[in-house]
Amino acid sequence: MTAPEAGTVAGTAGGEARHVRFIGPEKDYWRIMVRGAVLLMVTLGLYRFWLATDIRRFLWANTEIDGESLEYSGTALELLQGFLFAIALILPIYTVFTITVLDLGAFGNALSVSAVLLLAFMSQYGIYLARRYRLTRTVFRGLRFHQTGSAVRYSICAVWWWGWTVLTLGFAYPFTRAALERFKMRNTWYGDLQGSFTGSGWHLFIRGFVMWLLVLVPLLMTAAALLSINWSAVMAALRGGGDVIARVEKANPGFLGQIGFAITTFAVTLAMVALLLPAFHAMVMRWWINGIRFGEIVAVSHLRTRDVYVAYLRFIAYLVAFVIVLLIGVFFGLIFLGAFTQDGSPLSEFLTVAMMVGTYVVFMLGLITLYNATVTLSVWRLTANTIALSDTAPIARVKARGDASSPLGEGIADVLNLGGI
Amino acid sequence: MTASLASAAVYFDGRTAARHEVTIELNDYAVVIFDRAGELIDQWPYPRLKHLPAPAHIFRIGLRKADNLARLEIADPEMAHAIDLACPDIDRTGASARKAQRRAIALSFLAAVSLFAVAIYGVPALADRLAPLVPQGIERRLGSAADSQVRAMLDKGPPERPFECGGAAVEQAGRAAFDKLMGRLQAAAGLRVPLRAAVVRRDEANAIALPGGHIYVFKGLIDRAESVDEVAGVIAHELGHVAHRDGTRAILQGTGLSLIFGMLLGDFVGGGAVVLASEKLLKSSYSRGAESRADAFAVRTIATAGGDPRALGRFLARITGKARTGSIFLDHPATADRVAHIDAIAPPQSAGATLLDAAEWRALKRICAGYR
Repeated sequence: MTAPEAGTVAGTAGGEARHVRFIGPEKDYWRIMVRGAVLLMVTLGLYRFWLATDIRRFLWANTEIDGESLEYSGTALELLQGFLFAIALILPIYTVFTITVLDLGAFGNALSVSAVLLLAFMSQYGIYLARRYRLTRTVFRGLRFHQTGSAVRYSICAVWWWGWTVLTLGFAYPFTRAALERFKMRNTWYGDLQGSFTGSGWHLFIRGFVMWLLVLVPLLMTAAALLSINWSAVMAALRGGGDVIARVEKANPGFLGQIGFAITTFAVTLAMVALLLPAFHAMVMRWWINGIRFGEIVAVSHLRTRDVYVAYLRFIAYLVAFVIVLLIGVFFGLIFLGAFTQDGSPLSEFLTVAMMVGTYVVFMLGLITLYNATVTLSVWRLTANTIALSDTAPIARVKARGDASSPLGEGIADVLNLGGI
Repeated sequence: MTASLASAAVYFDGRTAARHEVTIELNDYAVVIFDRAGELIDQWPYPRLKHLPAPAHIFRIGLRKADNLARLEIADPEMAHAIDLACPDIDRTGASARKAQRRAIALSFLAAVSLFAVAIYGVPALADRLAPLVPQGIERRLGSAADSQVRAMLDKGPPERPFECGGAAVEQAGRAAFDKLMGRLQAAAGLRVPLRAAVVRRDEANAIALPGGHIYVFKGLIDRAESVDEVAGVIAHELGHVAHRDGTRAILQGTGLSLIFGMLLGDFVGGGAVVLASEKLLKSSYSRGAESRADAFAVRTIATAGGDPRALGRFLARITGKARTGSIFLDHPATADRVAHIDAIAPPQSAGATLLDAAEWRALKRICAGYR
């Protein structure tokens, strides 16, 4: 953010109250999420197309930019259609691939490694097309957004950059985000108004460097401690009875100390992640909003880190309450099971499994529902309410351009289990 | 003409993003849009109106089958109500939307139930039809791929010790006896597939069949057998798996299940557990069916060859112990049930021909004697 730009924003933002705001009642969002979670369970996930549509409609409709709200015009049937298209497309590829691998022996094994790469490309391809679908279903002031650019080029670019991010243990993450956001925003249009992204990887890098070190250093210490252990000797010493610990200590002096160190440093890593996640979330969000441009319109985020921490704390509080309720439920379930079924009968065995799986599913769905209803919604609202825009007059001059795109990309992303809001 | 209800509204023409303050009026068949100077802008017939998502305080409508996304936004609740009444397709209460959604929920619930039914009944039936159609060549290749994996997993001996018994000089006689037994069983079973059977150095009392006719009889099985009929029963059971192409069938079943559960169902957080549990339960249930059929095949084969079919049941009871009960997670039926089943279908004992004479049986017992 350069000084003159900040100046123009401050100048215009002073006049009017807020350029962007979120007005959705939290209660309505909770209703959508909780109802959706139950229906997902009952329909074994088939309800997801309707749930995603409901969520988007709610978030879009209640987000106002310059006094006008967004509109999500996509439908669940489109998503279902895209999913079925994607199945029809991916299934033959999958089948041919499986048969080829079985048929070709050693060469087939080499091919199955490349399948991982193919999958990575397909995922990124699907992600880009899905973004196109969502943008063209976003209507604002009677015009739709759209996205240009080749999804193939994006997928190559994305796999390249994310590959570096993984190889450098996250060092390349800021540059990955910057490069990919530049690609996406450059190809994002509101009518004939082209977007762009000016956020720089170095800015994000400098802000996040300390956080990165705080997480990475203890993690590297864990790895070093584990690598310094002579594992084959320890494994050999573990076999057989008697004083195992003494034998292990003899095979690899200092074993207990090293293991203790590894556990401690790993716990520090986890604690660091938990403590820094909200700050990281807020930092990336600010950086992203500040980088977005539409024509000459500039956005500035005043998102406060402490508000994001509050959102995460609320999530934890709800989660604790939920787990207590769930444990009470499991307790009564076990009593019921013990009282009404015979031990070892197929029925009791089946009910035990069903209860275990059911508890796990309820827990996971509850976890994600609570996260969405607290953190996701809060961050959306806080982010929207703290955005200031530069002069929005150019919006009125934007002309219509772009057509609705196919929901195939959403389908691909869905088949490959990459769904998102 | 109804009472000339008029109110202010915001109009976007769908060509530019400019915001137009307009006045709208309702007549008998359309919403009429005037600009502030009173000039007619457009008329929107009621049947083409559609209600669009918007924040609670705004009534937003657009035109169906229009070439642009022109929008009218009405804040006046009275006007919104009047349009709602005039236009049968619009309902602001969302009652028809909820009805449509209830239908969608019911349909997806039914779809989930029917996919489950397909997994329980359709997948095994389909695998039964498809397994015989898989060419022998593919099955053999599947078999040799599985074979190298199985060998790597099972062969834990020193490198200089051959995994298969029957190669060393002291083992030759045993090998001949084993080949003779295999020949008689294969003839009795009427199997035309080329078989590759061997006794291998493993101490468990077990035997396995892989796709494409690989059969491994573990040394532990021969050690614990008290008569040749017991060994023959187990081998005939494995021949049953080969004849029924159970290995190929299991692969087809697994593919079908992972398709249904991996791609169509269970795509939600926590769904993975449902997928795993369902697949495990269904696979075990398929497999228990295959084991029962293989037992029946063994009984028929041994009876044809002239041995004692009940020996298989006795042997199973001895090596697994009586205590073992059935479970929905096990891929074999409970031993007691298997024994009862075998006894029930075995024909009354005929004056049996012996499958191997006493000398050959002693040789077979020593087929792995070459290495320790």
